[in-house]
Amino acid sequence: MKWQKLGKIFDPSTVTLADGCTEFAKSPQALVFDDFVRIYFCAQKKTANSKYLSCPMYVDFDKSMTHMLALSEHSVIQPGELGHFDEHGIFPFSVTRDDDSIIAYTSGWSRRTSVSVDMSIGFAKSTDQGVSFKRFGAGGPVMAANQHEPMMVADAFVLKINGSYHMWYIFGSHWQKKSADGAAERFYKIAYAHSMDGIHWQRTGKTIIDEKIPDECQALPTVIYAAGKYHMYFCYRSAYDFRQNSKNAYRLGYAWSDDLISWTRDDGEAGIELSDSGWDSEMMCYPNLFETDGQIYLLYNGNEFGRYGFGLARLTEL
Amino acid sequence: MQLTWEKLGLVFDPEQISERPDWMVNFAQAPNVVIFDTFIRVFFCCRPKPDENKQFVSYCAFVDLDKKDLFKVLNISQKPLLSLGELGTFDEFGTYPVSVTEDGEDLIAIYGGWQRCESVPFNISLGLARSHDQGVSFTKYGPGPVLSHSPNEPFIVTSPKLRKYNDTWYLAYTAGRKWILDEEGRPEIIYKMRMASSTDLVNWTRLDRDIIESKLGEHEAQACPDIFYAAGKYHMFFCYRQGLDFRSNKHNSYRIGYASSDDLQQWHRDDSKVDLDVSETGWDAEMVAYPTLFELDGTVYMLYAGNGNGKTGFGLAKLHGTLS
Repeated sequence: MKWQKLGKIFDPSTVTLADGCTEFAKSPQALVFDDFVRIYFCAQKKTANSKYLSCPMYVDFDKSMTHMLALSEHSVIQPGELGHFDEHGIFPFSVTRDDDSIIAYTSGWSRRTSVSVDMSIGFAKSTDQGVSFKRFGAGGPVMAANQHEPMMVADAFVLKINGSYHMWYIFGSHWQKKSADGAAERFYKIAYAHSMDGIHWQRTGKTIIDEKIPDECQALPTVIYAAGKYHMYFCYRSAYDFRQNSKNAYRLGYAWSDDLISWTRDDGEAGIELSDSGWDSEMMCYPNLFETDGQIYLLYNGNEFGRYGFGLARLTEL
Repeated sequence: MQLTWEKLGLVFDPEQISERPDWMVNFAQAPNVVIFDTFIRVFFCCRPKPDENKQFVSYCAFVDLDKKDLFKVLNISQKPLLSLGELGTFDEFGTYPVSVTEDGEDLIAIYGGWQRCESVPFNISLGLARSHDQGVSFTKYGPGPVLSHSPNEPFIVTSPKLRKYNDTWYLAYTAGRKWILDEEGRPEIIYKMRMASSTDLVNWTRLDRDIIESKLGEHEAQACPDIFYAAGKYHMFFCYRQGLDFRSNKHNSYRIGYASSDDLQQWHRDDSKVDLDVSETGWDAEMVAYPTLFELDGTVYMLYAGNGNGKTGFGLAKLHGTLS
């Protein structure tokens, strides 16, 4: 694969974000319309106890991906009620088309005392072209921890293919400290689930992408079909010292599959790397693949997990 | 059907056992019975001393009672039946309540795992474990829960009662509906009883609706749906309380309710069928909760917990009349 970087296309500091959010534009995810591309992202605000709350919203671009057309006036979904799995924010927020409907898989955050957080996956639907989303049922998760996937079930990316639903997501295996006085860090990997209705999911409890580095964490898979194969981008990092140390920070990984089930990791084929300087020189994360007008694009975040916005690359060779 | 429960008194309170382990300082909550040749093994949940922040964990334990004299303690478990979970797992802060059922030679436990949260005090999911030594120790099926939260059961899945009928496993339990705030702004949980079925104990199909209508309205909390099969019918004894001020106010605390079913799906509530209420004084004067029924030599008994949700232990009642 070869990509041409088109640079940062959205900077949250240059606009007024919805619902009092002031920072970040994390995990850009595109939904293509006839004459524009809606890019959902998660911005953050600080709550009374100085913790971050993530709110999904969107920005519309014209098809050339160079002109911003509109910014959402509100979060597309509010945080969950007291005690719910998504009470402390939603990040990431993944939208997909389900025939004529627009559906979303949310990653809900619920703060804990012994560890910082747990996560589960929710389901929501839009009846207004993606401007707002309503939770399914009483608002609980469609996928939470289970016997083999004990925590941090999140980062769902769903495609409907030939009438059934395919989900790539992550689950956490454990929290671990590198040294006795260090902070506990989470470990998570990419897995796969299948569903006939988008609500009830069959899981395997297995990871699907081989590890490349020690203490590897994998996140945010995105999949696209092109030239007879399925292509997955994701991000990966070390479980430790990944916030400040660029060597351990998120990079983009790549894998391919013929059958949606078994994947061959081949990061050497990713075709995109850190820039020498600038907004994506220390970290690249939260990739999202989409196609519009015959052109495949990659959205992603750069340094500091998207604090400075997101950028775009165009596929030039497959 | 005229039923009368004769209270026989307090059976077991850990605080009355002088030589008891430090993880069993007090409480005997949510009893469940497995019958052996010469004794009945009563599984329950107990607590060690609270930590420096006055927070408790909860462990599963058992006490063996002499079949010939159910007030005679023969033995207590020497170790917790289940260890607490690893950092960040669902059962890191407690294993309560537990329901134990026979599966051939083995015993199966479904138990509530406790996680502590920031905005509300806790969340609960259900774990599965199996014992090959008659309940002395259990091995967890995995590090996570087998029944967690779902679109219509968004948090707190707990109070399990596991049964097997016609080769199918049935799990009656309670699921959180809403956290409501008391006058001091403290969140209290409202939960309603639900059911699920399974052929393998791991993959559960939820009935996905409340099984018992609420008598006290929207804020009635229901728990401990203990199912007892007799005379061709399923009999459920459970407990229910008001949404707020239920800890010290005996008018709002747990009482025992009753419902029956022909098919384990449609339940008909009729609390008038259970006349077991709080006593004038003593260990069960403030509440009666967590009922469980068992039959011994043709007599049906109920174990139930008293004041403080089992802080004062559990007692025994004997049924006069026939479940029909």
